[in-house]
Amino acid sequence: MDILTILFYLVTSVIIISSMSLIIVNNTVHAALLLVLIFFNSAILWLMLKAEFLSIVLVLVYVGAVLVLFLFVIMLLDLPIKEKVNQKLYLLFSLIISLIMFIELYMVIFYHDFSQVAEISHSSEFNNTYEIGLLLFTKHLFSFEITALILLVAIIAAIAINMTNKQRALKQDPARQIEETKQSRLRIIKDKDL
Amino acid sequence: MITMSHYLVFSALLFCISVAGIFINRRNILLLLMSIELMLLSVNTNFIIFSHYSNDMTGQVFVFFILAVAAAESAIGLAIIVSLFRIRNSLEINLINKLKG
Repeated sequence: MDILTILFYLVTSVIIISSMSLIIVNNTVHAALLLVLIFFNSAILWLMLKAEFLSIVLVLVYVGAVLVLFLFVIMLLDLPIKEKVNQKLYLLFSLIISLIMFIELYMVIFYHDFSQVAEISHSSEFNNTYEIGLLLFTKHLFSFEITALILLVAIIAAIAINMTNKQRALKQDPARQIEETKQSRLRIIKDKDL
Repeated sequence: MITMSHYLVFSALLFCISVAGIFINRRNILLLLMSIELMLLSVNTNFIIFSHYSNDMTGQVFVFFILAVAAAESAIGLAIIVSLFRIRNSLEINLINKLKG
């Protein structure tokens, strides 16, 4: 067994075990931290598949931004940790459905026999980030611009959903600002001691 | 020797586990959102596997777009969860029935 095989089995077993514990864990903070572990190990897996740029993006965007956002919301909401409710029926149902799905996917994968597909080795000058950038700014430029628009929509939506209680929110009132004069704001006090 | 099938089976297993997570979860909508993130991760892994083995960079560009859209989706989802918690004071999924006709 070479080192890459050992690394593959190590990384995938960590991901599978921690995702299994993520779906049954009670504490939401533990779940978010398990998700951090899963994303880090997936970044290693993507590195093994020679997607260097995307594995760094996964760590930066997901672990650095999205999961911090998750943890921030969990801390903000102050959720009570509840005891497990009786959910044997759901457990049985979900096991049956996911087992059926996995068997179907397994059959598809082994029907096509992907194990014969040869791995392509690039030369040392091959630059993953350069190739992605080249495609992104030539062939997929329109999709790239649309992605920027989607992010803008997400910013506006996330703010607009939580904009309640407009009286308490601090904001400027230009009409009042114009109406203010020097007399209404400034008062000169003579200090007797000086 | 790790072949393409190894990676594909791993990705399928991760997807099935996260689907099971959505079914099991009846307490917390935050865990449901995390399961959706896990599903997106396994789909992205599938894209990268096929991109690597068929020597086509377009798959990785697609993963880039999916990452951006998933970040936007989770931001809006968390905003909805915060405002929902403000109204209902709980995140239990079986209590979210305000839209019931």
